[in-house]
Amino acid sequence: MTTLSSPIQQKRPIPQPVSRWQRWRYYNRHAFEAWLILTPILLYYLIFNVAPVVLNIGLSFTRWNGISGSPEWIGINNYLQYTRGDYPRIIFNTALFAVSALLLQTTIAFFIAVLLNQKIFGRGLYRALWYIPTLTSAAIMAQVALIFISPFDGVLNAILKALGQAPVIWTIQGNWMRAFIIAFTIWRGIGSPVVLFLAALQGVHPELYEAAMVDGASRWRLLRYITIPLLRPMILFVLVTGIIGGFQVFEAVMLISKGGPQNMTNVMLLQIYNDAFVNTNLGVASAGAVVMALILLWFSLTGMRLMQQGRMEE
Amino acid sequence: MAATVPNRVKPRRQPIKWDVVGLQVLLIVGSFLMAYPLFFGVAASLSTLEVYTRSTWFPLPNTLYLENYRVLFTTQSSILLWVINTLLRIAWYVVVPGTVAVLAGYVFARLQFRGRETVFLLLLSSMMVPGIVYYVPTYVMMARWPLAGGNDLWGQGGHGFVNDWPAMLLPGMVNVFYIFLLRQTFFSIPKDFEEAARVDGANTFQVLTKVYLPMLKPAITVMVIFQFVAIWNDYLWPLIAAGGNEDIWPIALGFQRVMFSGASFKGSRGGSITDYPFAFAIATVATLPTVLLFLFLQRYFVEGVQGFALKG
Repeated sequence: MTTLSSPIQQKRPIPQPVSRWQRWRYYNRHAFEAWLILTPILLYYLIFNVAPVVLNIGLSFTRWNGISGSPEWIGINNYLQYTRGDYPRIIFNTALFAVSALLLQTTIAFFIAVLLNQKIFGRGLYRALWYIPTLTSAAIMAQVALIFISPFDGVLNAILKALGQAPVIWTIQGNWMRAFIIAFTIWRGIGSPVVLFLAALQGVHPELYEAAMVDGASRWRLLRYITIPLLRPMILFVLVTGIIGGFQVFEAVMLISKGGPQNMTNVMLLQIYNDAFVNTNLGVASAGAVVMALILLWFSLTGMRLMQQGRMEE
Repeated sequence: MAATVPNRVKPRRQPIKWDVVGLQVLLIVGSFLMAYPLFFGVAASLSTLEVYTRSTWFPLPNTLYLENYRVLFTTQSSILLWVINTLLRIAWYVVVPGTVAVLAGYVFARLQFRGRETVFLLLLSSMMVPGIVYYVPTYVMMARWPLAGGNDLWGQGGHGFVNDWPAMLLPGMVNVFYIFLLRQTFFSIPKDFEEAARVDGANTFQVLTKVYLPMLKPAITVMVIFQFVAIWNDYLWPLIAAGGNEDIWPIALGFQRVMFSGASFKGSRGGSITDYPFAFAIATVATLPTVLLFLFLQRYFVEGVQGFALKG
């Protein structure tokens, strides 16, 4: 990392005579400009990106309502809270939603991408249709979803009735509500994996398929022995980023089910929100955020290690 | 099912491959299932309440009923205000993090100075921290900001920036991911352009605006559209930071008010919460901008999603 690296710096004549200060300025002008730009950015970063993390960890060991008084140190009690009452159930729900939505979504996205990769009439339209839900606002679509599942005049119950099925009262039948929220999450989340798989599929050489077809391989074998192994890195990437996104489901739960019935659909992010801004118990909320951050950190580190391994095998 | 199979390698000629047809039908049905809620919403917004209530699967208006949209854009409702608020926020979050990303990207890609990699890694490390960690402490910082919103020097006594514009605009001005994206883009541009300009006597500011900015256009477009979608749909932070002041709400937050107490927004028509077509009209207005953006700039969306995968 020398101060004189680019050829232009040698070409440019140094005006003579120069003072020592001028020479110093000249040789360090990269550093001078760099720190001129970086200082305000790093200052901001310190206040808005570093301080909140420190503050959050600090608050997680205190009891405070955030409105009056000052935080009171209570040790790890807030973390112990996460082992009591409905909290383990909330962690379970979060994992259930994240994992089931992710597996279904990735599987569907994979096959849809394989289908969309064929030459088929109107392909551009179908591709757009799979991505557009991702662009919608989760908050607005969640509230629109409420109209669809309205027990008496909702569309879904009207369809169930037309099919001769008993209507579902989503706000009471917890497992139906779970299924609905998972379906909603997949609907909004599937666009990006489809685009990613499509991009990866376009990198697969058609010659590979031709060679296998000449050898008489079936369609299923082409998929099993060519497509899936070649797309393995992308599948891994989609799974890792997907689980991180899946843990942060919020709007759907807050606006469709409000966590009910009986906390059957409550998730960590909603509980953190409720602890902080409804129950005004910032300590428990901060502890929840730390717990969630650790879970997500574990997932990203594991994912990164797996991806690294995959790269080394290649 | 294999990707692209040229005609010449077909082992046998078959008149119609029924399995292929079946799969394609499956794809088409699936695609329209994905779009069903959106088509339903648009159709419902153009229906009268009677048409909507009579329909089961899909509301099919005989004549286009535009009254909902007319009410939306003409009566004294806050919806236009919320849309403008959202656009202001988008402008801010495009210009500020965008400028920061271009400047910092240049610094980390082009300038040679001691500690460059260390500082960059320091910034990058925050990408491992999930967003959830920031909500509570940033709210506390906003509420306890010294000498703002009636607060004293120690942040006591007032409400700080909460329910005010600064709370909606201060966080997220430095976006590390975009710095990373721009740095990669700078690496992909040959140094010769800058050197030629330097020989002609351009300073750093001129090099950035005249030489690099035109070449960074694709990366900046990706940045703009993803910020647009993210801020347009942002719900949780506005709810936390400005839930009590509906004058500065974005549309995603304002929609809730229409859903839960629709009455006040129907103007003289005196609607209620069960006036679903009206709710669908607002949802359509609140969804259309991002969808239109996508339809016009589809290429950049695809590039962006792939960029997140390859670089992120």
